[in-house]
Amino acid sequence: MGHIIKVNQVQKKFQQTTALDQISFHVSEGEIFGMLGPSGAGKTTMIKLMTGELGKTAGDLEVLGKNPDAFHRSSYKAQIGVLSDNSALYDRLSVLDNLKLFCKLYEKPLSRIDEVLELVNMWGEQKKIVSKLSKGMRQRVLLAKSFIHQPKLLFLDEPTSALDPGNTAHIHRSLRKLNEEGTTIFLNTHDMQEAADLCDRVAFLHQGKIQELDRPSALRYKYSSHAFHITTFAEEELVIENTPDNAAEVAQLIADGAVKEMHTDNPTLGDIFLNITGKELV
Amino acid sequence: MNVNRISAIFEKDLKDFTKNSMLFFMPLLPIILAVFYSRMGDGEDLPLFVIYLIVGVTYSAVTAGFMMMMMAEEREKNTLRGLTLSPASFIEIIIGKSLVTTLLTFASLIIALLIMGIGPLLNAKAMIGLIILFFFFLFLGIGVGLFVKTVGMTTAYMMPLMFLFGFTPMVESLQFEEGSMVLKIFATFPISQMIKLGEDGSWSHIGIVSLWTLGAIAFTYICYIRTRKDS
Repeated sequence: MGHIIKVNQVQKKFQQTTALDQISFHVSEGEIFGMLGPSGAGKTTMIKLMTGELGKTAGDLEVLGKNPDAFHRSSYKAQIGVLSDNSALYDRLSVLDNLKLFCKLYEKPLSRIDEVLELVNMWGEQKKIVSKLSKGMRQRVLLAKSFIHQPKLLFLDEPTSALDPGNTAHIHRSLRKLNEEGTTIFLNTHDMQEAADLCDRVAFLHQGKIQELDRPSALRYKYSSHAFHITTFAEEELVIENTPDNAAEVAQLIADGAVKEMHTDNPTLGDIFLNITGKELV
Repeated sequence: MNVNRISAIFEKDLKDFTKNSMLFFMPLLPIILAVFYSRMGDGEDLPLFVIYLIVGVTYSAVTAGFMMMMMAEEREKNTLRGLTLSPASFIEIIIGKSLVTTLLTFASLIIALLIMGIGPLLNAKAMIGLIILFFFFLFLGIGVGLFVKTVGMTTAYMMPLMFLFGFTPMVESLQFEEGSMVLKIFATFPISQMIKLGEDGSWSHIGIVSLWTLGAIAFTYICYIRTRKDS
């Protein structure tokens, strides 16, 4: 599978401040790649470099086989979709009029509007004026707008930050469907559960540097203590190392019927981030 | 160039205009002024500078003012980013966004001129000059709209631009000494050149207005490049 994004030793400075430092990673075609980090870590800057909205200070960057500076060409812009915190809609117009504009700009049939509204759980709300929408509804229309043209590569910056759990779950299902249909997704989030649910691989970005990059399951295994956490019926909490030497002790507890609960250590992505950086993912 | 994309932007702007009360009054301004001036003429033909005053007001308030506000609003609300990230090119965005303004400018101008007497402008040179002059104000409006960050800031720019480029014929009534530097400078301004074109019919005046227009296009392009990349 080819690489749709290649980032090699990329650096971005704003005057004296280094926002991104020596960043290297790739995203394969068909992948959902997550970039996790707290606010101000440099996640949005990374997306802006890849969409050509910002110029890099140093390093090599290739998106869809081209330098993002070439994105002023219609043929490239038609292949990418972007949802970021400064994406916007026309307030005085209806949801339908907003989506109609982008359907026409991307030369897609107007029937696509109903499809995307269904995907973001907004079907039946076409005639509502955007200024009257709640923050969550507005976010869902923006999301619909970002993939109305079935892009090859979709950049999402905190797509579910304003949504309730029900709508978040619906959006996650839709993003998975979109991904199955061939869209590669680059997802910025500070929601560790979202990253764990959706992403094939995640990168932890902290203070402008990638601290870890792997599959969520591999990271959980790497940062697990590999111990058994056992609670007995006598409410005793035991932590037993997962080694051959301890097998007999664990087996005995089971044989005695003393085990009320037993599980292995399974850190969340948030725990891992805290472990690496000493900071919470907020 | 893609006509579908241009018409999509035009259609959106037209709908947006009908719902934007802030812009509704502007096309009426030249018409109200035309009614006012036509009643001052005692049945005689109005002097050329009065006709060009109305042209200047129409172009500065409706053409430049409209474009300024529309572009500034797109920039302030970040919707311009959506357009620039779409397959629409800069030219397509500019043409699409200019169509509503063009429609309203010429509707307003034709009505105002019919009220005042369109006679002095019914010749090929004046028509060519008026079209080039329209593009000067159009690009000036787009450029300032891209330059400012908020709709509120457009008022600060619109007033001086209106007085400098729209009300240029009024400068002579400000009692400056004949041959003074101020008058010499204002004589090179586009509306002054159009009045001179009406007086002597020389193509050189159209050339000077064209230079102003090229300057406005360059200003717009620089402002666009500035907005395309975040700093």
